[in-house]
Amino acid sequence: MSYALSTLWFERQRYLPAVLAVAFSCLLIALQCGLLLGLFSITSIPIDESSADIWVAHPDVPSVDLGIPIPEAWQSYLALPEIAHTEPYIEGFAYWKKPTGGTELVLIIGARLGPDSIGAIRQLTPELRMLLSETSSAVIDEGEFTRLGIEKVGDTAEILGKRVRIVGTVSGLRSLAGPYLFCSLDTARKFLNPPPGQCTFILGKCHNKEDAPKVVERLKAHPRKLYPFTTQDFSFHSQMHWLTKTKAGIALGLAAALGLLVGAVVTSQTLYSATVASLKEYAVLRALGIPRWRMAMMVVSQAFWVGIAGIAFAIPTIFGIAFVGAEVGAKIMLPYWLLIFATSITLVMAMLSGLFALRSLRMVEPVTLLR
Amino acid sequence: MRADGLPLTPSMKAWGLTRSYGSGDTKTYALRNVSLEIYPGQIALLMGPSGSGKSTLLAVLSGLLHPDAGTVLTLDKDLWAMNERQREAFRLEHFGFIFQGYNLFPALTAREQLEMILKWGTGCSARDATARTSDVLTMLGMSKKAHLRPMQLSGGEKQRVAIGRALIKQPNFVFADEPTAALDWKHGQHVIELLRAAAHDQGSTILVVAHDARIIPFVDRVLHLEDGILYEGAERPMELYGDPTSPSPGYIAQ
Repeated sequence: MSYALSTLWFERQRYLPAVLAVAFSCLLIALQCGLLLGLFSITSIPIDESSADIWVAHPDVPSVDLGIPIPEAWQSYLALPEIAHTEPYIEGFAYWKKPTGGTELVLIIGARLGPDSIGAIRQLTPELRMLLSETSSAVIDEGEFTRLGIEKVGDTAEILGKRVRIVGTVSGLRSLAGPYLFCSLDTARKFLNPPPGQCTFILGKCHNKEDAPKVVERLKAHPRKLYPFTTQDFSFHSQMHWLTKTKAGIALGLAAALGLLVGAVVTSQTLYSATVASLKEYAVLRALGIPRWRMAMMVVSQAFWVGIAGIAFAIPTIFGIAFVGAEVGAKIMLPYWLLIFATSITLVMAMLSGLFALRSLRMVEPVTLLR
Repeated sequence: MRADGLPLTPSMKAWGLTRSYGSGDTKTYALRNVSLEIYPGQIALLMGPSGSGKSTLLAVLSGLLHPDAGTVLTLDKDLWAMNERQREAFRLEHFGFIFQGYNLFPALTAREQLEMILKWGTGCSARDATARTSDVLTMLGMSKKAHLRPMQLSGGEKQRVAIGRALIKQPNFVFADEPTAALDWKHGQHVIELLRAAAHDQGSTILVVAHDARIIPFVDRVLHLEDGILYEGAERPMELYGDPTSPSPGYIAQ
């Protein structure tokens, strides 16, 4: 065991505040980002809940909920050996006139309803699809009734002066902006009025899901300048659009910076005071001619181990909090890249704190040992 | 050997050493034109009342405190003509220190305190460091306590580890400041015997600063410092400490 690690373990009570500060920083960064990712994952629900492998969009589409019409005929471009099935997908915002007065912006999502549909969300049961096959009917999340000014399944309202009827509900699909209205392609066309022969996206299903990235690359090379995505990429693209557009990224950055600052100050001060407490021991080493950089390395390795210990504390706590969050309805997403990012940045912070604590070594003066 | 029993070549020669503290009316002299020679294979005791300048002299001779004036020639090198880095390298190669406090890292075992000096200082391999540390711990009678940390050791044992730390590099010089002050006489005597052995068996030059007159019979020379002026041997020490058995080479340092 290295001298730094031995010291850290033996004097663990002294180093505990620094370890906890690092853990706090790591926790704050991971949970802040995870919470935000969870929040913005709502914007990609229509993508994530579909069965499609490939999404083809208009080149200017920033996010799934901001689709721009493209010709349905583009489906022919997807006639590749790897692709088993294609279908159009129509979505767009519309004003919902509440029976109770006032309006609410809703996001209408129209997809094929057949059992082999790749655009319809998985929660649409055969019964619901049957009900949706009747034009002007829609399904909403069970938590959206109040927002839409209605009370129960079977209630009606108006979109563009045309009657719409709620025929069923799904759960866990509440939206960030306007409530989602899941319906058939015909219903979507009726309320959104896209130009004839146009849809918003063209979806593709591969024989083998693993072929999707390869197919996307081939479609990108198409002379028609298609704008294809795999489902995962389009989901990420949509989330990032909202993350940057809402400036939530700035708030996130500030919160993370604050967490890092607190962690850095506590870690640095702890290492500083620990070094000051050992000034006499270091002074003996200096008298014996041990170079100063050896002691600096000791402090920096202590900082490294403080960082590792803090991260070791943080990781299970992050998952624990995410689990509790999920239980109470707060979606915290923790992809592996986020955890790598959070742990790397906190480890770098701990090491920099160690470098900052090195100023204490300037006080090491062997002659003070001679009284 | 000279007629007075001293080896011919001193390992350290110093002359004209002056060191003051403060300035103007508050200026006080800790060393006033001090000159001395010390020899390899000998243990020299530097005595004197509190505030007489003993620690200052030790610091100046060992390269830790710059004198206002004077020269320290050690192993034919002018210690205070070197730059800081050269002096540090010189200390690393030739000097060992024992301070009044034990100053041991609380978290490290007796073995680690010693090994650290070899690994960090001399860059010797882990295997060599372990072997040499074992030898030194055996010499100190500490081999069974090698795995213990300072808080598990008695004062005497801690001081033995501190001595081990000073001797592990097999230095040409060992400077010891009050090495027995915190110990009872039984342990203090053991410490002095260890230092004496280092001088006589390994040929090291050992300079001990101490108050305790009971050490006198164990050393080869006694130097006495008072008001920044150095006296050699018999007169002042005998007069002050009244020990007629004290060995006195009769060499007046100044």
